[in-house]
Formats: sequence, C-alpha cells, structure tokens
Amino acid sequence: MDRATFLARIRAEMGRAEGRAPTQPSARPASPRARLEVLRREMSERWRESLARFTLEFERVGGVLHRVTDAGDVPETIAGIARERGMQRVVTWHADALGLDVATALTARGLQASAAPDTEVDGGERGRRRAVAAAADLGVTGVDLAVAETGTLVVVSGAGRPRSASLLPGCHVAVFDRETLVESLTQAGLVLEAWHDGAPPPWRGASINFITGPSRTADIELTLTRGVHGPREVHAVFVERGVTPRRD
Amino acid sequence: MSEPRLDTPLRERAGHALRDTFLQEALTIATTKFIGLRREAFAEFPDGEALRDRAREIKEATLQRLDHYLERLIDNVEGRGGHVHYATTADEARRIVLDIARRAGARMAVKSKSMATEEIHLNEALAAAGVTPVETDLGEYIIQLAHERPSHIIAPAIHKTKGQVAELFARELGRETEPDPEVLTRIARAELREKFLEADLGITGANFGVAETGTIVLVTNEGNGRMVTSLPRVHVAVMGVEKVIPSMSDLAVFLAILAKSATGQKLSVYTSLVDGPRRPGELEGPEEFHLVLLDNGRIGQLAGPLREALACLRCGACLNVCPVYRQIGGHAYGYTYPGPIGILLTAMLNGPESVKDLAHASSLCGACADACPVRIDIPKMLIELRRDVIERRIAPWPERILFGAFARLLQRPVLYWTAARFGRLLQRPLTRGGVIRRVPLFFGDWTRTRDLPPIAARTFQERWADLEREGGR
Repeated sequence: MDRATFLARIRAEMGRAEGRAPTQPSARPASPRARLEVLRREMSERWRESLARFTLEFERVGGVLHRVTDAGDVPETIAGIARERGMQRVVTWHADALGLDVATALTARGLQASAAPDTEVDGGERGRRRAVAAAADLGVTGVDLAVAETGTLVVVSGAGRPRSASLLPGCHVAVFDRETLVESLTQAGLVLEAWHDGAPPPWRGASINFITGPSRTADIELTLTRGVHGPREVHAVFVERGVTPRRD
Repeated sequence: MSEPRLDTPLRERAGHALRDTFLQEALTIATTKFIGLRREAFAEFPDGEALRDRAREIKEATLQRLDHYLERLIDNVEGRGGHVHYATTADEARRIVLDIARRAGARMAVKSKSMATEEIHLNEALAAAGVTPVETDLGEYIIQLAHERPSHIIAPAIHKTKGQVAELFARELGRETEPDPEVLTRIARAELREKFLEADLGITGANFGVAETGTIVLVTNEGNGRMVTSLPRVHVAVMGVEKVIPSMSDLAVFLAILAKSATGQKLSVYTSLVDGPRRPGELEGPEEFHLVLLDNGRIGQLAGPLREALACLRCGACLNVCPVYRQIGGHAYGYTYPGPIGILLTAMLNGPESVKDLAHASSLCGACADACPVRIDIPKMLIELRRDVIERRIAPWPERILFGAFARLLQRPVLYWTAARFGRLLQRPLTRGGVIRRVPLFFGDWTRTRDLPPIAARTFQERWADLEREGGR
C-alpha cells in the first residue's frame, strides 16, 4: 500500500474518534542546544554528587568504576585490567574521539592494540576491521553522556567511534569525565533533543546506545547470566582532570 | 513437545497447563519474582506514579494526531536515507519483508526479539522463501530450536527447565553439556556470534519510533538488538503504527517506566537509538534501512472499543499479576499475545470471534489495570468484549440460552421468586454440607472445578421483610 492511502485510512478512523479531551505530549525546549549549555553549567557545580550517585548505580548493575587523576593515567589502568584477565588484543576508538592516544600507549605496554580510523574506508577494510573487533578481548571507548540516576553510559557512534568496541569484545572499558555527567533520564532527554537539533556534525554516526551494565539474560530458569551477546564486564574510568575528545 | 494450539478448545489447553507440574512451579516462581522486582523498582522511584500518568497522556496525545506524527516519522526516516513501507495486513507485511530479503539476496536473517514479527508469523514465511530466520534473544533462540512459541512477552522460554535446554542443545547443536545456565549461555553466545557476522539481513521490531527525529528505539538486555542493527548489510524494523511517539522528551518519560515495569531494572542494559543507515566514516551499520509500518487491525481501533489497548508498551507486567496467566501460562491462550492485554490484542488483530472463550479467561480482579505502566483499563474492555461476544451471538448456544433465561428471570420479580422456590426443592438431593459439589447433565461443567453455592433458605427480600416487621434498625 502507498503512503497516501495508508494515511488517508488513519485520518478517516481518527475522524470517527473525535470529541476526546485533548492531551499534550511533553513540552519540548524551544532551543535545545542553548538549554543544554545551561544544564551543563548547572551540572558542573554538582558533579561530585552526580558522580557519587553514578558510582552507586553503576556498581549496582555490575559495572566497575576506576578513578584516575590525569588522562595520562588511563592506559596503565586499562593495561592493568587486561593483565589481570590475561587479555592481549585491544580495539579502541580513534585518539581524537577518545581525547587520548590509548593505542600507542597500550602497544608500548606489550598489548596488541588497534585504533579505529576516523575517515571513511572501503567495504573490504571495514570487513577486516570488524574481524579484528570480533577477535578482540577488550574494547576501549569514550562516553558522550553518563546518567547518574541509572548508572548508564551513553555512546554515540561515528567516525573513529566504532559501535563494535563497546559490543563485540568480552570486556568494555569506557573513559569519561565530569563534563558528561547528568543526573536524570529527564536531563538525558534534553541532551537527546539537543543532539538532534539541526544538522548533525559530520563525524556523528547513526547509532546512540545507552549502556547500563554488562550484557545480561535471565532466560534460562531466571538465572542471571552475564555476557550473552555483549560484554561480560563493563569498566568506567573516571578522569578527574578531564579528557578532551572532539565533541560538538 | 509441542504445546496444544488452537485445534483444541481453551478448556483443554488450560487443563494441559494445569497438569504440567513443572510449568506450574516455573510460572509461580517467575511471575512472583517479576512482581517483586517491579514493586521494588517503583518503591524507590517517587516520580513513578506521576510519570505513568504522563506516559498515558503522551500516548493519548499521539493517537489524537496519529497522522501528523506518522508523517513526521516517515519524512525524517526518509530524510536520513531510510525507506518506509506500509502494511495493512500481516500478509502484506510478510510480502514487504520477503521482497527486501530477495533484493538483498539474503540467505540468513538474524532477528532481535519482536512481538510484531511474531504476530505476522514472519519466520515461517522467511523459511518458505529460502531465508533462514535465526532468533537471537536467548529465550527466543531456545524456543525456535524446540519449534515452540513464546510463553511470556519478555521471558519467552519461561516454561523450559535448564535440563530441557541442555537436551535441546545436545540434540539440535550437537553440544553435549551439563544443565548449567552459565554454560548453556556461553554455547548460545558462540553459536549466535557466527550468525551475527554471517547474516545479510537484520530484522527487529521497535519499542518506539520518535517522530521528530526519525529514530527507531530498541530495548534489550543481551545486546542482540545492537548486533542485529549494526552488523548485517540490511536492517528491517517492523513497527506497529501505535509505537510512534512525538519527541525525545517523550522517550525519556517512557524509558523511565518501561524497564521498571518489565523486569524491575532502572533501565534495560541496552537502549539503542537507530537513526537510519550507516553514515560516512562509520565502520559498522547497515547500508540499507527499512521501516515497515504495520496496521493489522490497529487503525480500525482508533475509534473502536479497544482504542485504549493501543497504548500498550508490551512490558508484560499485566501477565505477571494475572491470576489466570499465573495458572495457565502463555501457550494456553493460543495466540501470539498472552495474558490480559493479550486477549484484547488478539481481538484487535483477529476479530472478536477469536476471543469468544478467551474473553472469559479473566476474573476481572483488576490487578492488570493496577500493574499497567500506562494504566490501561483492561477489565473494562474485557467486559465490553464479553458483551460484544454475546451480541454477535458467537457464544456457545447452551451459554446463550441459560444466560438469556436468567436475564428474563431477573427482570420479573414474581417469576424470580417462583424459580427460587422451585430451585430450593430441586437442589435438595444435590446439597451436601451446605454446598452443591456436582450438578447433572452439561451443567456439570460448572461444578467440575468449583462448588456451587445453593440458593439460600430465605431470599434477601424475605429477610428484609422480616427485619422491617421486627422494626429493627
């Protein structure tokens, strides 16, 4: 069936349903980007409380939080996680998307690390990259938003930000700082409004994922089991002095 | 192993379930656990009640301008390079998906759990067309291997023991193993990982479609939704038209209550927002994105008696609290959607004729309406459905005659009074210890699983008259 006929049918049925008390959807911010700037300023004054709540909720869902002072400390933390588990192969976001060059630092520590390109590559290369990610033990990503209320890490896909880094390896390590913290899902809704306001920046991909703990299922006799399809473990590394990835 | 389906009457299907001791135990454990988790989640979320009201208002506001929001959704999906298709019937939806599969040259399709594709029986159609459908949600994968159907909206394999799953994996996958959920899950991970990487087509449903941004939202715990929307070359999402919501601000409201109602989680592990096909610079993501908008009886209810059911989020909360579902489980309902909301959705999809028995599979206790995150008045619509079943004369004839006679009796006091006196005489040989345990002929169905209270020695009116005479106040 075509669009016009389909919608005409809907309108005909709607016509028969008139006379209901009108209700309203959620009020939307008039200029979401400006509103987001205000929110960021508010949040920057309360980031300690947000981080405390985030930590509580993130650990409740099975996440592991690490705190480091400086971006330069991140590779050692990741290398430590890998060493403890006997992991060798690492895939990471591109250095610009992450705000630091993890791959070089990890390679120097004897790990096999591969960073994603941040420009378009052909289908053959994408296939090879995918195979590398599928064989990797550990994936490193940045974080675009951290929701304290639910212990959620939000990652936006894009150039240099492969979706697979937080999905295919058994262990996901996400690097974040105070800039990304919001308190509630309602505030996350505002951020999503702002991200969809106007044309997306050229690096932005087609997928946004809210990640709340490791992949899980309870499909066999309600026994909670981790790592069904996605990572078994999720680590978040909080960088006190901040990381400076390329963002909007 | 296959459960009784529509070729047997509801009574037999329910009886089958009641005699299945494992099922009885599994249902009690699972539904009780879900109820507890849901209660805890809302107990520590003070905004919950207000957000439930808001969510319902948003659903109603969307239905009132459904054409507008669908147009926004369509324009925005197309603006991002996606394709939108329109399916009035299940058959049309199947043909659209098959056509996409054929053009893509797909031989295998990986699927993330979707009630909409269950509803249109897509897997059978795909298989018949030479495309192997692979369910990737662990529960769905198990029942697909067993050639069964889901028994719960969010826990499809609730009816199987770990022992049965181990036997199934040994038989179907050639993997002998101990019945340990952890080990079984690892096997499924390895099996399905290959399929994700190999499949040409990814098929999903949609929990929400955001009109203002053209975003399809999928909620999963396992990560299979992310795999299916990121790895295959083509992604098809099948979405009921009522799943559209206006904006991201509205999405935040629904996300705050959906997982809490379903599993008691604050948020499911993965909430995936899909903004169309892969963009330049991305390593993963489908080259083609298709959205199939599904009517299949929904549009006809915009002004119909089942309109409220269009607000359903498919969380499964009403199943867990329903005293009937808790006893008979999902299969006995016989259709895609079980439980209280399932009866309404079955009537919506297949017409009122299909629920002439099911409309009575409810005690009308109202627990479903209390549990529903968007406060759908399910009992009210069930009563309406029962009325409809009677008015269309599709109820069984003994029931029609009996209740017809009873209605006439109630309208005529003298007749009622006389019948009561006769009844008292007739029931005498049947009454033992103050209850009637068995009545003869086909009326015996009534007393097969319960007692019939006898007609009282004195009617209420007689006792009232006595009281008035005594002047008692």
